Amino acid sequence: MSEQGFTDAAVEAAHAFRAIMQAMARPGMPVPLEVKLQAPHPLDPASAAVALTLCDFQTPLWLSPMMATEAVAHYLRFHTGAPLVEEREGAHFAFLSASEETPALSLFSQGTHEYPDRSATLVIQAATFNTRDVVLSGPGIKGTTGFGVAGLSQRFWSAMAENHAHFPIGIDVIFAAQGRIAALPRSTRVVLQETV
Amino acid sequence: MNAPAYNFAYLNEQTKRMIRRAILKAIAVPGYQVPFASREMPMPYGWGTGGVQVTASVLTPDDRLKVIDQGADDTTNAVSIRKFFVKTAGVATTERTEEATIIQTRHRIPETPLTADQILVFQVPIPEPLRFLEPRETETRKMHALEEYGVMHVKLYEDIAQFGEIATTYAYPAKVADRYVFDPSPIPKFDNPKLDDCPALQLFGAGREKRIYAIPPHTKVKSLDFEDHPFEVQRWNEPCALCGSRTSFLDEIVIDDKGARMFVCSDTDFCAKQRDGR
Repeated sequence: MSEQGFTDAAVEAAHAFRAIMQAMARPGMPVPLEVKLQAPHPLDPASAAVALTLCDFQTPLWLSPMMATEAVAHYLRFHTGAPLVEEREGAHFAFLSASEETPALSLFSQGTHEYPDRSATLVIQAATFNTRDVVLSGPGIKGTTGFGVAGLSQRFWSAMAENHAHFPIGIDVIFAAQGRIAALPRSTRVVLQETV
Repeated sequence: MNAPAYNFAYLNEQTKRMIRRAILKAIAVPGYQVPFASREMPMPYGWGTGGVQVTASVLTPDDRLKVIDQGADDTTNAVSIRKFFVKTAGVATTERTEEATIIQTRHRIPETPLTADQILVFQVPIPEPLRFLEPRETETRKMHALEEYGVMHVKLYEDIAQFGEIATTYAYPAKVADRYVFDPSPIPKFDNPKLDDCPALQLFGAGREKRIYAIPPHTKVKSLDFEDHPFEVQRWNEPCALCGSRTSFLDEIVIDDKGARMFVCSDTDFCAKQRDGR
């Protein structure tokens, strides 16, 4: 079978969640995420594992133009039961690729000051991570750490710096790159390398 | 061994997904209380149902679990919860702090410093630090949104006016990452300094009140105080009667009916380690 989900859902999801949680707790630190599942192209297996671990009928999904293939939509609908939505503001999770133009982050649900948890989580898949694009600091980071994602533009990182400026509301991002994931929650201060 | 009638770690997968999403948002907004759809657990409220649901959602079969109640591994609450996870998740357990990967705790932080490989899960009775000052949830929610914490400082000031010092000794309010005032659960204020810049991830679960919150590793946690009345922790005049430690939190134990008492470490693992010279 070419498009397989979790074989042992409870245990595989538990391991995947621990990796996602460690990544979210330590922004900018890539964490290995070993997955046995097989996802349809162009969905990265690590992105697929995030979807199967966190998404279900309660979490509307939005797929970027590159990710919105018939095979990916079918796979996510079948394995998570999550509704796919056209409008970004209604999505709890969004799946994107670093190799396409990132849409304006402010179009995704930001949460409210009373309920900052009601905001979208973006899952962006990329080829590799580096340590050169931005310098991160804040909760979860001892001092500062260098971070970067292949393919993401300076405009994206400026938008993430802007996203932090609105704390406590804002979106959170999980990056997936071939067996590794990293995260950038809204609590992290982002400084572009050129302006350090 | 897993009892076959249970899903791994008792909760069903949809419940775990819901709790896991809440945990991630809690980490992304440190100190903010995320509402979650707390489930009925096979133990009464007040016995750690929030902590148990958080532990069940982060647990993997490779973990080694430690459970403490007021620092002790061998009290009813700790033993029951440890047995619960042995039965429903088949995980290994330990009483040694340094061997544990997940530590669920009721009202203490272990004396042994935690590491980056560990996760501390707190059982929380009342997650809202402002609740005794403002009973309406709609109001406290607005106060957090506006970062309006003046009433908490008034409460601490009234302590000073009445008693000459801040009389709050447990569940001492602190500010997380310069934003949210939070309730660290009823740990003694002696443990508050351990919350600050801790290398381990700290998760808080309140089952009855249906809230989850978190402190990521290396996050600034500042106990509220005044310039002329700085935050201070409890001190004892004598060392632990069993291990002689002068640095740990001591429990006062009445040992006869004539009023004699002794002071011993509340952290049983730490005390045993000191005595064994481990």
